Amino acid sequence: MANQALARLENALRDRKLDRTLTTALPASQPRDDAAAIATDMAALDACLRGGLPRGQLSEIVGSASSGRTTLVLQTIAASTRRGEIAALVDTFDRLDVASAAAAGIDLQRLLWVRGPSISIGGAAGGPDAAIHRALKAVNLVLQAGGFSCVVLDLADVPPVTLRRIPFTTWLRVQRVIEGSETACVLIAPHPLARSAGGLTLSLAGRVWWTGEADRSRHLTGADIGIRIVSPRRRVDGEVSVPAFATTTA
Amino acid sequence: MFAAVYAARGSSFETLLGVARDFSPRIETCGPYEVVLDLAGLTRLFGDAKTIADELRRTAADRGLRIRIAIAATRTAARLLARDRAGITIVEPGDEARALDNLRLELLEIFTAPPEPPEPPDPGSRIPDPVTVTLRRWGLRTLGDLAALPAAELAARLGQTGVGWQRLARGEDPAPLVPSVPEERFEQALDLEWPIEGLEPLSFVLARLMEPLSAHLERRDRGAAVLHVRLHLVKRDGVTREVHERSLQLPAPMRDARTLRTLALLDLESHPPSAAIDRVVVAVDPTPGRVVQFSLLTRPLPSPEQVSTLMARLTALMGEGRCGSAITVDSWEPGAFEMKPFLGSIANSGRIPNPESRTPRLAIRRFRFPIPARVRVDLGIPVRVTSDRRGISGGKVETYAGPWRTSGGWWVEDTKTYWERDEWDVTLSDGATYRIFRERDTDAWFVEGVVD
Repeated sequence: MANQALARLENALRDRKLDRTLTTALPASQPRDDAAAIATDMAALDACLRGGLPRGQLSEIVGSASSGRTTLVLQTIAASTRRGEIAALVDTFDRLDVASAAAAGIDLQRLLWVRGPSISIGGAAGGPDAAIHRALKAVNLVLQAGGFSCVVLDLADVPPVTLRRIPFTTWLRVQRVIEGSETACVLIAPHPLARSAGGLTLSLAGRVWWTGEADRSRHLTGADIGIRIVSPRRRVDGEVSVPAFATTTA
Repeated sequence: MFAAVYAARGSSFETLLGVARDFSPRIETCGPYEVVLDLAGLTRLFGDAKTIADELRRTAADRGLRIRIAIAATRTAARLLARDRAGITIVEPGDEARALDNLRLELLEIFTAPPEPPEPPDPGSRIPDPVTVTLRRWGLRTLGDLAALPAAELAARLGQTGVGWQRLARGEDPAPLVPSVPEERFEQALDLEWPIEGLEPLSFVLARLMEPLSAHLERRDRGAAVLHVRLHLVKRDGVTREVHERSLQLPAPMRDARTLRTLALLDLESHPPSAAIDRVVVAVDPTPGRVVQFSLLTRPLPSPEQVSTLMARLTALMGEGRCGSAITVDSWEPGAFEMKPFLGSIANSGRIPNPESRTPRLAIRRFRFPIPARVRVDLGIPVRVTSDRRGISGGKVETYAGPWRTSGGWWVEDTKTYWERDEWDVTLSDGATYRIFRERDTDAWFVEGVVD
């Protein structure tokens, strides 16, 4: 009885072309299929992700402030540009630190940086809604142009209230645009938003290291980024910890 | 028959070319002061060779040019004679060798030397051609001397170069005339019966203009380097007119009509005309077409046309200067960078990747305008950070490092570029690590960014 109800539900979703939310509609992920994923060039993480973030899917990197979201994204973009590919970053509130991007090893000429309004949190002219609206439009334009290996939408600093106002169909549309393409779309957010069936959700928690006991000699050395992969549909659940070093402490 | 026209130094090449084109469509330019005209068929229009020469000279004089003219059956003979003799020289067909007989051997260097510089060279500084030096050493002085040498012996000693020089000395042409093609204008214009307003009707007009322009570029294997759109506007009073002109620098040569039209329209969306349009002119600066070799081994990158269109759309959406590639600048100023256009597939940074760059580096999320903060300080150390801005919860300082004092820009008069501050890295009780700083001159605290 329950099986029949489930079958009816799946058929109804297929009729409405919403079957991308079904695990059964997804092709089985091949282990270590490099062409199907963009590697992050962090061996432990790539091993856990079986190659990297999947191409043609919408993945998410979520976590609180200082959890290492930007570090991970910049590393992924850097790995992409090192392979001669091009990437795009739609920076909703213009938060990219160019020096950090250069230190991560990004070939800046191969990164299209789309800058939203340079506003402080909560102080947007027209509100953050307008900035998000434009950022989403920009992401769509970049995805439709094609040819980018990695397209990142940075919503990390968007207030939760505003994030909740984004209709869920937005992410379905994004998923539709990149389906079958070679682009891996990555969303940075404080908490999972898209919950794409084919993509991965990396939930991050960071812990910074300080060196030096004395007050005057102490400095920020780096951080441990704990990454929990949440994707029941692809069954690549796992946890991995990646160290990141502060730029001044080579 | 050919006529070599040699103008006096300092003459305008454009004027010389204009005079030549008035007489014959088949002309060859041989330097900044010399052109050769093919006179075939001109006798029926102007008369005999003497009449043509007189007419040429008169036309040139009317335009302020002093010229020498030599007419001969071969271009080589005509050029040599024009160089040697002032006024008008006409050589009957078959008489070239005799006419050239007494000319100086050095004249042959006009066929090997680069085009003459605008300023006359110092006679002492001229380096003679090695072949001339050799021939001089053999005791030859005139073209007749060289022409009279046995060709086989000359070839044995100087090779094909020697044979080629001898043919020139006999007045024989080494190759047929290569006509100089006048510079083409890649421009299309349309006068409208009724002025149009808005971009939608304009898009149809642009499509109609771009297609022949694109076909013209394709025929000549050229691409557009710069696209100019000139809109002639007519104000509401029907009398006042003005021209709205836009120029688009394209990142790569392109000639796809749809791409060019889209780029023009997107640019006009950002810079719309102020009145109705009654004439549309589209022109391009041509440049040699792009040769693209695709690879089966690398992933396809978007073409320059796609990148240009994307950039135009993004610029229209986000604003001027908000999209592109960032470049680092040689400065200690916190957060300093510059923007430049994103070139996509044609970007070639020539960068050698640093192997160390594979090590993950902690990044900072930078507030482009630092956020004012309230910081409680105890014994010179920040102990609590709060801010009114949403998103920064603030809290007690759990761990800190600092201060690091930086300053700069004090050598510039503009106070905006001056900074002097103490920077701290602090982990607050909310779990986040921030970079904060105190401006030393105002004692105000700011949050510069979040370590993330």
